[in-house]
Amino acid sequence: MATRRHPSTTTKRRVIRTLEARRATEPVAGGTTRRFRLLMRQGDWQPAGEVVFRRSWPSRLDAKQEAMDVVAELLSSRGWVSEEDRSWLVLCLDEAVTNAMIHGNEGDPRLMVDVVVAVDAKRWQIVISDQGSGFSMASVPDPDDPESLLLEHGRGIRLMRAWLGSLTYYRRGATVVLSRRRTDVSGGNHA
Amino acid sequence: MPEPSGHLIIQAYDRIVLVQVTKERLLDMAIINAIGAELNALLDRYAKPSFVLDFAPVGYLSSAMVGKLIAFYKGVVIAKGRMAIAGVRSDLMPLFKITQIDRIIRFYPDAQQVILEYKRKPL
Repeated sequence: MATRRHPSTTTKRRVIRTLEARRATEPVAGGTTRRFRLLMRQGDWQPAGEVVFRRSWPSRLDAKQEAMDVVAELLSSRGWVSEEDRSWLVLCLDEAVTNAMIHGNEGDPRLMVDVVVAVDAKRWQIVISDQGSGFSMASVPDPDDPESLLLEHGRGIRLMRAWLGSLTYYRRGATVVLSRRRTDVSGGNHA
Repeated sequence: MPEPSGHLIIQAYDRIVLVQVTKERLLDMAIINAIGAELNALLDRYAKPSFVLDFAPVGYLSSAMVGKLIAFYKGVVIAKGRMAIAGVRSDLMPLFKITQIDRIIRFYPDAQQVILEYKRKPL
């Protein structure tokens, strides 16, 4: 009987490395630069810490505002994001939730966007999933290409990358994980 | 021409057009689209315009709004005009640097400074 071969751990690691879209020096909020990782991983996200929040919203713009407000208030009130960084948190939430509702779910109010917040001893994660089929990294404009300067779209990922510690995609891009170091732990005012 | 959205206050002095944004949060797509439409309509109203966009009240801005500003900038160039953005809060300025908008659009601390410069150097 023919048996299906499962890829070895080494092969999986090689695939993940191949799928790494970018590992480059990026400008960040505050004017300095640092190295940043943007990853497209196979499979589904698994929580690294405790899941403290889970809720779904329909793909409607009025629901988008509520989703952003609820999640931003949760992270701010627990001290995981400082008050001075709240505008960046709101911006990242807006970009990610808008992408999920408008691009992922194509604005169909019957389709839901799931939001999960998880936290471990050092970092928080916001996981946003839509019911779409994902996207190709090749469709994201290269911000370093001079011809991208006058494009009217394609800046959302770059903005999120500027503040977040990591931005990781799963399920071909239908799930995005936003992560950053908690501000309530030592040295927490860095990504 | 679209109806005034209420999100912008527009005053024209000769061909210098001051556009004051009244909203603090430029995140809602309906608001962003209304502002984009109102800005584009201004391009039909003035020849060789000098636009001053006053962003003083703005505290939150999404990449979609940045896209509208790029679209407006391209329209201004086609109209042989010029534009500047004024009054951007210090905590919002990194957003324009990260998206490299500061490489194509000039930024000033306040609107009055731009208006004076545009008056000194008319197109």
